[in-house]
Amino acid sequence: MAELGAACIRFALLIAIAGLGAAIHAGLARRADWTRVAERGVLVVSIFVALAIGALFVAFATGDFRISYVAAHSASSMPMGYRLAALWGGQAGSLLLWLFMLCAYASACVFANRNRNRSLMGWVSAVLLANMIFFLVLLTFVTDPFETLPPERAMSDGAGLNPLLQHPVMMIHPLMLYTGLVGFAVPFAFAFAALLSGELGSTWFQTTRRWTLFPWLFLSVGIMLGGRWAYEVLGWGGYWAWDPVENASFMPWLPATAYLHSVMIQEKRDMLKTWNLLLIGLTYTLCLFGTFLTRSGIVQSVHAFAQTPIFTSVFLGYVLVTAGAFLAALLARRKGLRSPQRLESVVSREAGFLLNNWVFIAILMVVFTGTLFPVFSEALGERTAVGPKYFQLLSGPLALLLLFLTGVGPLIAWRRATPASLRRQFVVPALVGLAGAVLVVLLVGSQLTAYALGAWSLGAFVMGTIVQEYVRAIRSRMRRGEGPFQALFTLWRKSQQRYGGYIVHLGAVLILMGATGSVLNEEKLENVKPGAELAVHDYRLRYLTAEPLPAQHYGGAVARLALYRDDQPLAVMAPEKRMYWLEQQPASIPSVYSTMREDLYVILTAIERDGSATFKIYRNPLVNWIWIGGAVFVFGTLLVMWPHPPRLPARSA
Amino acid sequence: MSKGVQVAGGATLIALLLAWYALANLESGASFAYYQSLAEFQAAELAETGRPVRVHGYVAMGSIARDVAAREVRFTVQNTPPHAGGEPGPQLAVIFASLETPDLFKDGAEVVLEGRLRGGEQTAFVADKVLAKCPSKFEGQGQPAADGGTRI
Repeated sequence: MAELGAACIRFALLIAIAGLGAAIHAGLARRADWTRVAERGVLVVSIFVALAIGALFVAFATGDFRISYVAAHSASSMPMGYRLAALWGGQAGSLLLWLFMLCAYASACVFANRNRNRSLMGWVSAVLLANMIFFLVLLTFVTDPFETLPPERAMSDGAGLNPLLQHPVMMIHPLMLYTGLVGFAVPFAFAFAALLSGELGSTWFQTTRRWTLFPWLFLSVGIMLGGRWAYEVLGWGGYWAWDPVENASFMPWLPATAYLHSVMIQEKRDMLKTWNLLLIGLTYTLCLFGTFLTRSGIVQSVHAFAQTPIFTSVFLGYVLVTAGAFLAALLARRKGLRSPQRLESVVSREAGFLLNNWVFIAILMVVFTGTLFPVFSEALGERTAVGPKYFQLLSGPLALLLLFLTGVGPLIAWRRATPASLRRQFVVPALVGLAGAVLVVLLVGSQLTAYALGAWSLGAFVMGTIVQEYVRAIRSRMRRGEGPFQALFTLWRKSQQRYGGYIVHLGAVLILMGATGSVLNEEKLENVKPGAELAVHDYRLRYLTAEPLPAQHYGGAVARLALYRDDQPLAVMAPEKRMYWLEQQPASIPSVYSTMREDLYVILTAIERDGSATFKIYRNPLVNWIWIGGAVFVFGTLLVMWPHPPRLPARSA
Repeated sequence: MSKGVQVAGGATLIALLLAWYALANLESGASFAYYQSLAEFQAAELAETGRPVRVHGYVAMGSIARDVAAREVRFTVQNTPPHAGGEPGPQLAVIFASLETPDLFKDGAEVVLEGRLRGGEQTAFVADKVLAKCPSKFEGQGQPAADGGTRI
């Protein structure tokens, strides 16, 4: 398998270089036949990369420990699912996965555009192939996943996978994240191709919008799954810590989301072309940069891939060259991108969208600065870092502003809003927001922070706007004789962008409102003997017993606690302390009692020598609403993306 | 004045307000010094005590003692990894006033301590926070590890 995989990678590299030549010729000479040649190059490279990743999967499945990557990341005692998922447990394999995803996207893109965007496809292929070549070079010369161990160092079994990664979510979270991150290569390629060919009309960005939504959805899901994994596995009671690795996946999401908003202004008003191109370039650059950041070790994350200096410089060079080339092309074409339209009023939807974009970019700057703070501060003197507090402090007010705009933006008229239209749109939602604020003050009272009050009442306000929009639209359809559900489905079909978008907003609002629950978090560390009780908020926990875990590829202990509220037995909680034998690494698996109101999250910190046990207990209000919001968010995005048969030309009424 | 300039003006105002807000609040502990190695710390800092610092080191083999009654964990850190062999180098006693140690915290683990040096008869480092790092054998991927305290 090692030989087959390595041969496939090297062969793919040769084909990709030849294909790039054909693609550049096709682009420069505007030759349709050479475009086809380049596209076939993309497909052939993809086939060989698929063979290579298939070979590595087989090596993991069969336990081919001759390959040093397989030996370093799996062991024969691991269940098959984790052995396969170990493929992306390390540097070389995860880069091969990156490349494979890129090839899959590129092939899909070539196939979907076999009869469309023909004049762009030469340059699109060129950009995609150039990216593939970079990863192929990396996999051939810098970090080869198929490298075999010399016979004298051969191992009969592997070293195993980091136990923290042995979790069902970890099998799919990296896939989701990569499907997201890599997918932005296609919109990037289209934007770049539009710049290179000078065809700056409207076709490229209609294609691009669709191709952006898809990876954007996966990136969003990937980020949320990452949070879920952190919550369930890492046993620290939280889901987001502003760690550099988390930030690396969050940063591209911000300009991508900004782009999905501002592209609407381009569609409706033919403005902001340059800005939109910049956002696409920025998104893809940040995808690459994030991949680089998590692997380079330039910023200390508690977890980061092992690093080599050559890798760092090669990858950083690639990120900079990509960004620089795109920016140069953008500058060269800046005249053709000027819009004839101007902003007409500050109180208009365009202005709202523009402000929304700036807020996204501001959040990006906050996250970027905070993540790279050690690097910047070292250049200025003493190397310092910033903690989660910095991010919360700065992104909090920005998030509130964004929340406000989420409610306001879609309701303001295009071009210029009148006082009468503002009154018609905002009286009811403002009252809902106010009622929300009063309710929150009554329910929470003294513990309330300004930020939490803002988030929850603005959330109520936004929900008010969304419900009002739906009620109005459904009523107007019902007046034409449709039933309420029929009306709803018509809205989702005929104005999917708008009414699907509202559902996405609803999901985002729920996520933010759920995350705001963290201001009411409580935590407690207690040491108890069997039979003793401890209390958190209005819960009581009685520590019953601890017993050994049945031996498998890990052992350890599970503690059992009876959970009561007001003498009402609720559940038996069973936090575990595992020891992964092979890796010699302990792991705490929390036990969570989860309701719509709050989560009670128990960690077995240690079983002490005297027979007592130490528990860390968190009460985390509203956490479930984050996952519910996530599901709503995904549903809304699917509504927006769902392919409907092309609309018939409107009949004149 | 064009509308674009008006919007830009508004945005600048918001940005300034935000920057002011950040500067007013950042001093309250949001940023901290990057860590020093134990050797650097001992060379520079022994005299000056009481200032919060972050120190990097390795847990000395067999030094971890959990004191349930006092609710603290005591251990010793050294400058070089104990598995590497050779001289352990300078050592420092650490008191962590919590029973909640991260999963990766064990003999030989690479740790970053946040806290301050306590002088007096028994010099010890009083840690508010103990961060343990993945052993280099694994290339951990993904999210933050248990770090004994930081959370949203």
